[in-house]
Amino acid sequence: MSRKHDVNKEIENEVYCGTLPVLPKERKYGFIDALLVLSGYCIATWSYTQGSYLATLVGFKQLLIGAFLAAIFMLMIYQLPVILSVRYGIDIWIWLRSVFGTKGVRVVTVIIIIVNFPWYAVCCELFADSMENLLGLFGIHLFNGAHLVLSLSCVVIGTVIALRGVGTITWTTRILVPLLLLVGVAVVVVGFTSVPMDVIWNYQPELAGDADKTVNYVLNIEANFAFVITLVGGMAEVPRLCKSERSGYYAGVLGQGAAGSFFVVVGAVMAIAMQYVTGQMVDDPTLMMATLSAPILGLSSLLLVAFANIGTQAVGSYIYGVMLKSTFKKASYKVLVLILGVYVALLCVWGKITEYFGSFLTISACVYAPLAALLFVDFFFVRKQKIDLKRAYEEEGHNAYKYTHGFNIVGAVCLALGFAFSLLIYDPVKSVIHNKVLFMLTPTGASLFFTAILYYLLCKLPPIRRYVRTDTYASPDKKPFDRAKTPPRQNLFFLPLMWLLCKILTAPYKLKIDKINMEGVKPPFLVYGSHNSFMDFYVTPLALKPYRANYISELEGFENFGEWIYRQAGCLGTRKFINDQHLIKNIMKVIKRGDVMVIYPEARYANVGTNSHLTPSIAKLAKMLKVPVVTINMHGNYLQQPIWNLKERKGARLHAELKCVATKDEIEKISVDEIFSRVSKELTYDEYKYQLDNKIVINDEWRAEGLHYPLYRCRKCGKDFAMTSSGSKITCKYCGDSYEMDELGQLHSSSGETIHIPDWYEWQRGFVHDEIREGRYKLDIPVRIWALPNSVNFVDCGEGRLIQDESGFSLEFDNYRTEKHETLKFPAKSMVSLHTEYDYRGKYGPCVTLSTYDDTFFIYPTDESRDVFNPTKIQFATEYLGGLYK
Amino acid sequence: MEKDSELDSRIGQMLQAEKDNVIPRMTKKDYIIAAVITVISLIGIIGGFFL
Repeated sequence: MSRKHDVNKEIENEVYCGTLPVLPKERKYGFIDALLVLSGYCIATWSYTQGSYLATLVGFKQLLIGAFLAAIFMLMIYQLPVILSVRYGIDIWIWLRSVFGTKGVRVVTVIIIIVNFPWYAVCCELFADSMENLLGLFGIHLFNGAHLVLSLSCVVIGTVIALRGVGTITWTTRILVPLLLLVGVAVVVVGFTSVPMDVIWNYQPELAGDADKTVNYVLNIEANFAFVITLVGGMAEVPRLCKSERSGYYAGVLGQGAAGSFFVVVGAVMAIAMQYVTGQMVDDPTLMMATLSAPILGLSSLLLVAFANIGTQAVGSYIYGVMLKSTFKKASYKVLVLILGVYVALLCVWGKITEYFGSFLTISACVYAPLAALLFVDFFFVRKQKIDLKRAYEEEGHNAYKYTHGFNIVGAVCLALGFAFSLLIYDPVKSVIHNKVLFMLTPTGASLFFTAILYYLLCKLPPIRRYVRTDTYASPDKKPFDRAKTPPRQNLFFLPLMWLLCKILTAPYKLKIDKINMEGVKPPFLVYGSHNSFMDFYVTPLALKPYRANYISELEGFENFGEWIYRQAGCLGTRKFINDQHLIKNIMKVIKRGDVMVIYPEARYANVGTNSHLTPSIAKLAKMLKVPVVTINMHGNYLQQPIWNLKERKGARLHAELKCVATKDEIEKISVDEIFSRVSKELTYDEYKYQLDNKIVINDEWRAEGLHYPLYRCRKCGKDFAMTSSGSKITCKYCGDSYEMDELGQLHSSSGETIHIPDWYEWQRGFVHDEIREGRYKLDIPVRIWALPNSVNFVDCGEGRLIQDESGFSLEFDNYRTEKHETLKFPAKSMVSLHTEYDYRGKYGPCVTLSTYDDTFFIYPTDESRDVFNPTKIQFATEYLGGLYK
Repeated sequence: MEKDSELDSRIGQMLQAEKDNVIPRMTKKDYIIAAVITVISLIGIIGGFFL
């Protein structure tokens, strides 16, 4: 077995084992261990470059503030999400799959390496500088181009060491860290003893005439933000080895913010001392020691620094080579390390990395700042400290983090905008400030806050939240919806927009509104409306114009469109078919403040365009509120988009009739029965009759598709769940009996029989009533359950059983609230009807819902029960058992 | 296949460890200390403008 093969195998193993979750018993690091490891990583010769760069900007006191406080401030925020690494034993590259997608994270890895790897070119430059300067001290002057040869030799030696694999790197690290510490100690001793202390303490840089002290101070803070933020990439592997979240977090903060910053300050002290003695500010510890102490010390330090720079280059190539290998699994580790070597070599050939050190830092931070913001917000506010590990590891069948072809578009857009935002504030290459106000926050800070706010707000929008939170079940928001919250009045600024939207959406269907007995009827009043489809919510506001109104809405709408927007539209959230006392109180509040209260008393869309039976409670409510009662009966809404097929039918025509059925004077005088009778009469409708009478032609070829959901029983063979539909036909899959739906909504059999759809629908109901009366009715099927606790998310409750008999519903499932397998009972008499869906949101299929005060359970069939799960039949049984048809 | 089962097993163990709070969590006190340090650092940074 060759040596080459060994290394590849080692790396393969390192990559695989290096990405597996580290179990608690395998954790090696307490706080001190982690602190030492991270401190070792932060201490490199580039700390001197950073220190001398800061000394060109600000005085020593401001430099101290920047090096320590700015670093710690940024780290306190930036390091918080490492808690997740500790909790799950994973590095951030695994977790980032949830933020950027499984392929998106590869792109981000490459970007990070591109912006991070110039650090290693700094090392190579320092190596070349050290050699040149020290040889110069001995009077040896090298040929032109020797600097490049020296820096490239650092690249080559470092790359060769990295290619030798894990064992060599381990030894390199063991020697490197103590060496660097030794150099650091020597620099501190020489720096502080060779110049008076007050020279350093009172140091102020010689600024060019047009330099602004405040701007320089901000650049100092920016440089420190950038310095700590860009080092995180290489440190991502450590927190997952920590034994507690606290140790992982504080080791990260102090490893960089204290140890790393200390060496930055050491670099600054060295530069200040050299300027004091020689008039030149240098960032080379070798030259400083040779100049400020003795050449022999310089010579000794040369060997240390030379090895340190080569060692840092080697360790960097290894770390990033492994990182690339774990991202691009098929690529050869050797090729990846060589690519990294070529990249650094090109930067050395360019030769200006030290000159553009500040620019490079800021550009790096322009990428890292939005990345940090995304991590922070995603961790605390979007994913609420939980991810789906199986999906993060792309286990088979767990594809949530694939998003759009492997890319999370939202994360990518936020990263790009955050990057652009910082460039809009400051041009790091030309050092031009574009926005002085935002510049005071530093480009990194401003970009961090901008991206954090942007990502947070975007994730508040329901469609984006649903897109990003495909793993909701891992950390669902369980807080129940606040039904008691007083509904706001419809937003006055929002109202014209809402009317405009309603106008636009109803325009194709030529909405006509008739108002009867409405003269003198002014808010407050109560409106009872027919309920056919979502179009009702567009027609009603136009009919009530110019008054603003409040509407009762099922919570599901809040989840779909967002709570904020629903509240602005004046919606009161509730759950269906529960005894909601808060709702009654809120209705009273709406009336009391002089507004219009709109209620759709059927509480469910019409299945076949006919009204449901109403309950007398609606009349009792009207009597209690003592305000005029208005009805709005809407025609055409059902025909335009029936619940059993949500495709819009362009041929539909809309007509709404707004009618006052009881004035304020009348409401106090007439009986509850009279009110009920008047409302029921006005809310009686038959949409297929309306279509036929008005000759509304709906000629879409697919016009009968889905009709088998409400018409599930074959009229000929009498089998339940026998019907299928396709195009304009509904057919029995057992006996083949078939009906053609004509363009006026009537069904015709091959034998010439004409069927009015509501008749077929009601005919089925009779059989369900018979089954119950004869004790034959029993539903007991496996189901899939999702709970909706609030307006934020659904919670996957897995599979359970739905049982319906004379006593009502029983739902057996794993209750996510109690984390126990439980049976919830829904007594028959507590429900007069049931919410049903035939194809929920056009993609989830048929379901029924059952509600408690804190949850609405959406209940779907499993593959096993799909053939016997029919929402219509379940609804018929519920209505009969609830007493609506007795 | 072996690697997949190793991963499965580790994920299962980590999730259980998380449930059982085997890895000590950041406490409220830790978060408060972090917030205080952050605010002090911020005040220091702002103070630096006046030096």
